[in-house]
Amino acid sequence: MLFRNVFRTLKKQYVQLLLLGVIIILSSFIYTTMDLGIGGIYTPTEQYFDETNQEEFAMRMMDMPLEIDSDYITTSCPLVTEVPFSISALKVINKDCYYGLLENRLNTITSEYDNLILELRESKDVYFDFQGTANKVRILKDSEVINLSFFVDGEKPSNNNEIAITEAYAKNNNLVIGNTLNLDDKDYTISGFVLFPDYSLAMFSDALIFDNETQTMGLLTDEEFENLNETVYFEIAGVFEEGYTDLDFEEDVIDDYRNNENLVFVTSTLLTINNMRSGAIYAEIEGGQNTAIILSLLIASIALLIVGIMVSKVLQSQRGAIGILKSMGYTNLEITLPYIFFIAILSFPAIIIGYFLGVLGAEPMKNIYLIVYLLPSQAVAQTLETFVIAVLVPFGFLIIVSYIIIRRILSQKPVTLLNPPITSNANFLTKRMHGFLKRLKITTKIKHLLLYRNMIKFSVFIIGMFFAAFLILLSFSMVGVMDRMLYDYYDNTDHNYIGYCDYMDICETTGTQEKVIEIPSAILDDEDIYLVGLDPDNELHKLLNKRGKEITNDLENGIIITTSLGLINGVGVGDSLLLQVGEESKEFEVVGVTEEYTGKKAYIDIEELALLLTNTTTYSNTVYSATELSEDDFLIVISTEDILQQAGIMQNLFNIMVYVMIIASVVIGSIVVYILTVMTIEDNFYNISLFKVIGYNNKEIDKMILGGYLTYGIGTFLVTIPIAYGLFYLMTYYMAQFYEILMPFRFEIWHGILSLVIFIILFFLGAYVAKRKLSKISLQEAMKMYQV
Amino acid sequence: MSIKLDNVTKTYFTGEVETHAVKNVDLEIKNGEFVVLLGPSGSGKSTMLNIISGLDNPTSGKISIDDEIISDMNAKQLTKFRRDNLGFIFQQYNLLQTLSVKENVEVGREVSKLPFTVEEVLEQVGLTPQTTKYPFQLSGGEQQRVSIARAVVKNPKIMFCDEPTGALDEEMAKEVLGILQKLNETYKTSVVLITHNPSIGAMADRIIKLNSGEVVEIIENKTKLKASEISWG
Repeated sequence: MLFRNVFRTLKKQYVQLLLLGVIIILSSFIYTTMDLGIGGIYTPTEQYFDETNQEEFAMRMMDMPLEIDSDYITTSCPLVTEVPFSISALKVINKDCYYGLLENRLNTITSEYDNLILELRESKDVYFDFQGTANKVRILKDSEVINLSFFVDGEKPSNNNEIAITEAYAKNNNLVIGNTLNLDDKDYTISGFVLFPDYSLAMFSDALIFDNETQTMGLLTDEEFENLNETVYFEIAGVFEEGYTDLDFEEDVIDDYRNNENLVFVTSTLLTINNMRSGAIYAEIEGGQNTAIILSLLIASIALLIVGIMVSKVLQSQRGAIGILKSMGYTNLEITLPYIFFIAILSFPAIIIGYFLGVLGAEPMKNIYLIVYLLPSQAVAQTLETFVIAVLVPFGFLIIVSYIIIRRILSQKPVTLLNPPITSNANFLTKRMHGFLKRLKITTKIKHLLLYRNMIKFSVFIIGMFFAAFLILLSFSMVGVMDRMLYDYYDNTDHNYIGYCDYMDICETTGTQEKVIEIPSAILDDEDIYLVGLDPDNELHKLLNKRGKEITNDLENGIIITTSLGLINGVGVGDSLLLQVGEESKEFEVVGVTEEYTGKKAYIDIEELALLLTNTTTYSNTVYSATELSEDDFLIVISTEDILQQAGIMQNLFNIMVYVMIIASVVIGSIVVYILTVMTIEDNFYNISLFKVIGYNNKEIDKMILGGYLTYGIGTFLVTIPIAYGLFYLMTYYMAQFYEILMPFRFEIWHGILSLVIFIILFFLGAYVAKRKLSKISLQEAMKMYQV
Repeated sequence: MSIKLDNVTKTYFTGEVETHAVKNVDLEIKNGEFVVLLGPSGSGKSTMLNIISGLDNPTSGKISIDDEIISDMNAKQLTKFRRDNLGFIFQQYNLLQTLSVKENVEVGREVSKLPFTVEEVLEQVGLTPQTTKYPFQLSGGEQQRVSIARAVVKNPKIMFCDEPTGALDEEMAKEVLGILQKLNETYKTSVVLITHNPSIGAMADRIIKLNSGEVVEIIENKTKLKASEISWG
């Protein structure tokens, strides 16, 4: 009988219970899917990094011969008649001399620091056309000790006509082993699918492009690697000897190398964990697990609080009946059991559904990671730990909280329960806020005070709204990230083609082509930067500041830095910085900042740079052109259109994330608003009827009873803006400091307006049913026996 | 304001069962009159009050207050009519617990065009010292006086009272009735009060007795008693 009574009582609340179930499912689902999904990557990844001896740090070096290098070339390389401008150029002239020089550099490092094992890491980037789209492959030279290649399928290339690529790229482009790829007009047969532990992201520059649809890692035979015409990039991969740690390395090397005169050629040193291309997966796994816990905990706490409110509400509505049962001699346990039973049979299936949906979602979740990351994976397997955390813990909490609430009400005497509840005091918030609301109209006062009446409900509302607002704002701040990083830059300039000249030649230009000097590795105030020498009067590469004003002419007075360089290194207009190019150095003042997020880059007057490099003003190594450049005239020709295409693909990925987050926030926010507003209508049933009787119309009552939600919802939204903005800033700062990559989140007025519009839509969606219920409450309710 | 009921009937349908809560009632209540609707439980008092006050619609018949036919009004018009002309007091006080005495009265004042001041009304009901207190700090009688003040502050032309003393003891009930009587005399507000307590009829201008939804007797009081003089039955 008691069971039937509780069942009928709960049946009346079926919509709220159903939506509550959705929240519980969501909480359990998020945790399970992320935990198991990440688990499917974590274990094999650890094993893979171990087997392939992943680098523990990487060092970048100047591609420019220093005095000591020049001495080496002069004394040890009789075949090299003139010291080239770059070490990569030296390789074309004399391979042995190049390797000898770099071996010297590696020996210098190991002589300065103990416990390090080093290996040269060489690569070449090849742009190629695949089915009408510009693609890029980074060919790595196979290593012997560190960052060993790992084959997930097929074999290493055994002859000069074979290539190994990533499985992710192959899948994205429907390629299988045995198919061919055409690079530099030569067909290569795919021999296998390869992974490199120092490229868990196919990220070849500071720009956040790591899509596996247009980019792949590649492996050729060593001989074929050398045959490629492309410029060789080189850096150092390193591991520690046993017992040496990251912390030791930071103290001994990272804090020291910049002051070490023998290591001027080292431009940057990054621990793997700080190196996005190799170590972002560590932060991703840790971050993913933390996000799973925080998100599901947040949603679970919203669910738990709502369950608490609902249980309390149901029991209050049944207090008379409970009083009678108690007076008839029923024990507290007998009365409690049906409630606990129904809470258990309603919540457990929701948690279990969430868990199993999570198990189903884990494999796609794992695959989402593998869309981006280049890692081996294993099939997702359920674990006892995940089951306990995703199912038993929240279920236990729900039952305990419900039990406490039920027992609290049951602890009252039967006679107390038989009478309506008497409010014996106003809560803290009501008392505190009363003073502030003194001068307001009574209807406005009611709007606020009705919300303060139930602190738990109020807290759930604020948490739910904050959560929804934060997600919406975060989503919008991600809109256009790739545009700001790359697209805007190339869109604002007219150098559609970039031609890199042969190493020893000075570039020749025709027509509207313009001469430029690009130095991939220069030192500006102890920082390794990309330096570009431009003509202050050039037409193809105008520099614009934040306000869109052209500042190219300012190059006559000093250097212009990019926004990303300014933010990462904390420098700005007016700062005097020492520029080191090869052996030469000169102080320059920063005269402008361009609105660019293309990495640590600075612009200088081309003549100034040529003088530093060659003591002449005519030198250049690059040509910019608005029209297509012939590949016959240059060592490499790059089309900026190809880069824009890649940026577009990445932006699409970001956009998908934006949509998913907005939809999730609207769903959760609307459910919270729905449950709370409907509860509020039920709680104020008699007040609403009384207001109607007094002569208030539905609109006025709506404002009084539900208006507070909108006011505090918008209030929460507005408070969330600076919090979100602060967090975005912290995220940007963290990325810049940790990975030296600038993620240009941006909050613009239209983001705020659009977010607010979505937020208000969310509110009206959620409150729609409550408003309808409000208008249906009859006037006679006020006459019934009830005490508010 | 005078109220006129012409052949008013209210029928409830429960499945195939018809219940006539009010049957063919013709009645007139004059401006400034204090009328008591008297009858046992189930006699149709509350239904009658709901219909007269526009809280509910009659099944048939016509109800007019002055020249306005309220039985023809839609919900919006009725809301406006109640707002401008009527005050209500119920057995349950329905006070907002988070508002002080003064603020509860302000709830009634807010919708009125020509309201009294809150202070004036609280003085009339003898609650000036309790102005800043909350409902839970007041006795039942005091809470009912707050609900009277909330109804009166609107300066209504007609006051409808549904068992206003039903939850009070004799002493408190007489206090409350005294206030209603005083308001009726001071502001010439028409009062329609329903009760099952025959003693209260002694203070009214007219007693309208109801039974099974029909007016069975109308008694005019030649000599009205003061509320405090009523012998509580």
